[in-house]
Amino acid sequence: MKKNNDDLFRFVEYSAENAERTGYSNYSYWRCVFQNFLKKKTAVCMACIFFALVIFSFIAMAIGKYDFAALRSDPALAFVAPNSEFWFGTDNLGRDYWCQVWYATQTSIKLALIVALGECAVGITIGCVWGYVRSLDRVITEIYNIIYSIPTILYMTLIALLVGQSFTVMAVSLIAFGWLRMARNVRNLVLMYRDREYNLASRCLGTPVWRVLVKNIFPYLISIIILRLALSIPQTIALESTLSYLGLGLDVNTPSLGILLRNARYYFLDEPYLLIFPAVIVSLITITFYLVGNAFSDAADPRNHV
Amino acid sequence: MIKYTIKRLLQSLVTVLVVATIVFLLMRMLPTDSYFSEDQLLKLTEEQKQDQLEAAGLLDPIGEQLARFYGQIFRGDFGESRRIQTGVPVLKVIGSKFTISMRLGCTSLVIALILGVLMGIGQTLHKDRLFDHIGTGFTVFVNAVPSLVSYSLVLVFGSKILGLPSLYSTRYEMKSSILPIACLALASIASYALWTRRYMVDELNKDYIRLAKIKGMSSKNIMVKHVFKNAFVPLVQYIPANFLLTIGGSLLVERFFSVPGMGPLLTDAISRYDVNLVQTLAIIYAGLGVLGVFLGDILMMLIDPRIRLTGKGETR
Repeated sequence: MKKNNDDLFRFVEYSAENAERTGYSNYSYWRCVFQNFLKKKTAVCMACIFFALVIFSFIAMAIGKYDFAALRSDPALAFVAPNSEFWFGTDNLGRDYWCQVWYATQTSIKLALIVALGECAVGITIGCVWGYVRSLDRVITEIYNIIYSIPTILYMTLIALLVGQSFTVMAVSLIAFGWLRMARNVRNLVLMYRDREYNLASRCLGTPVWRVLVKNIFPYLISIIILRLALSIPQTIALESTLSYLGLGLDVNTPSLGILLRNARYYFLDEPYLLIFPAVIVSLITITFYLVGNAFSDAADPRNHV
Repeated sequence: MIKYTIKRLLQSLVTVLVVATIVFLLMRMLPTDSYFSEDQLLKLTEEQKQDQLEAAGLLDPIGEQLARFYGQIFRGDFGESRRIQTGVPVLKVIGSKFTISMRLGCTSLVIALILGVLMGIGQTLHKDRLFDHIGTGFTVFVNAVPSLVSYSLVLVFGSKILGLPSLYSTRYEMKSSILPIACLALASIASYALWTRRYMVDELNKDYIRLAKIKGMSSKNIMVKHVFKNAFVPLVQYIPANFLLTIGGSLLVERFFSVPGMGPLLTDAISRYDVNLVQTLAIIYAGLGVLGVFLGDILMMLIDPRIRLTGKGETR
C-alpha cells in the first residue's frame, strides 16, 4: 500500500524538453491557413485545373498550326466547323479560332492579374491613410462618394474617346476606378483596430505609425484583402468583356474573351462552337477564382482555426 | 427623424450637384470639333462652326457657362439634344426611352425577388442537401461567370430550344421581352438567393432560436416568425435602390438584345458628344443612386425599430 503511493508521487527529473512543450503550442498561422484551405476539395481541384489551363494555353499556342500574328482573313474559309486542320474551327472572317481563343485567354488573365494587384496596392495604401488619419477621413469619404456616384461607364467612355484604347490604358483605368471597394474595406477594418488598447500602448511606447500599421493592424486585414484580390479577378474579366463588347474596351485587334464574344454575337446561334470554346474557358477561370477566394478567406480567418 | 431626413436630403443634393459639375467640366474637355456630325464638318466653314458654337454658348468662359448651367438646372430646364435627336428637349428624349427600360426592369425585379427569396428559403430548409448544393452551384455560376457569357447561354437556350425571338422588337413586344427579362432577372435571382440563405443561416444559429426550439415552438413557426422576419431586414435595404436603378436600364442587356431603352443612351450620347443629354443623364443616375440608398435606410428603419440611424453618422 505504502509502496504504491510512493510510486505514484515520485518526483520526476527536470527535463528541458518537456518543460518547453507545456508552454509551446504547435500553432503556426500560415500552416493552419493552408491546412484549412486544403480541406476545401472543390477549390483545390479548381485551382489545379486553372494552373493546368494556364500552362496549356502556352503549349496550345506553340503546337497550334497557325500563329496569331500571322492570321489572314479568308472569306472562303469562314465558319469551318472544328476539324483536324482548324481545331476550334474558324470565325466569320475565316481565321483560325484555336490560336485566337488561347491568345484571348492569356490576355484576359494577364489583364485581370495586373488590375487585381494594382487595385490591391492603391486600395490598401489609400485605405490605410483613410482609416488611420482622422483629419483626412471626411475628405476621402466625400471623394469616394462622388467617384462612386458617377457611373463607371461614363468614365470608361470618356477615356476610350479621349485617351484611346489599348491594353495599358485599359489596365490603368480599371485600376483607377477599381480601388474604391478595396480601400473601403481596408478603411473600415483599420478604423476598427486603430484604437484598440494594444495599439494605444504601442503608440505610447513610441512605435512609429508605419510599424503599427504593418505589424499590428495589417495581419487582421489579410483575409479580406485576399478575398477582394481573388474576387476582383472574375470582376475584371467580366468588366473587360462587357466593355469590349460595347466597343469601349480593348481594341479589336487584341483579342480578349470579350472581343471574341462580341465578334461572335450574331453568328453563334448558327455556329455554337464560336460560343462554347471561349465560354467554357472563361467560366473555368472566373469560377476558380471565386471559389478559391472564398475558400482562402475562410481559411485565413483565425476564428476558423482550431 | 425629420431633422435627419432633411439633413440627408440636403447632403444628397450637394453630392448630385458636385457630380453634375464634374461631368460638366469633363464634357468641356472634349475638342469642339466633335460637337458636329461628319456631314456638318465637311460642309461648314470654320466661321460657321464658330458662329454655331457661339450661338449655343459653348465658347463663353467656363465660369460663365457653369453659372448658366446651374441656373438652368434650378429652373428645371435641361436644354436640347444636339446630336441624338437634334433640337428635341432632352427630357423628351429620355421620356420616350425610360418607360421601356423601367417596364423590363421592374418585371424582372419582381420575378427575381419572388424566385430568389423563395430559393434562398428553400436552400435554408434543405441545408446541406441536394437542393442546397444545386442552388449554391447556380449562385456561384451566375456570380462568377461574366454576364456576357451567361446572357449568351440564355440566348442560345431561349432561341434554339424555346424558339423565342433573339432581338427585341416592337411588333411582338411580349414575346421578345422574355429573353431580356430573363437575363436581367438571372443576376438578381442569384444575389437574392445568396443573401437570403446567408442571413437565414446566420439567424438560425443564434441563441434565441435555440430557446424557441427548446420551449417547443414548431419549426414552421420559428421559420416564419423569427428567422425570415429578421433575415429579411438587411435585404430590404437594397430593394428601393434596385427598383430605382431599373429606370437607368441595363446597358449590356439592352445592347445585347437591341432594346431601345435608357441603357445605351448614355454611351451613345457621350460618343456623339451630346453634352446636354450626358449632363442630364449623369444627374439622373447620380440622383437615383443617392435616393435609392436613402430610401433603403429609411425603409430598413421602418421595418426594424431597433435600427436607429440618427445616432450615428455612418450609415452605409
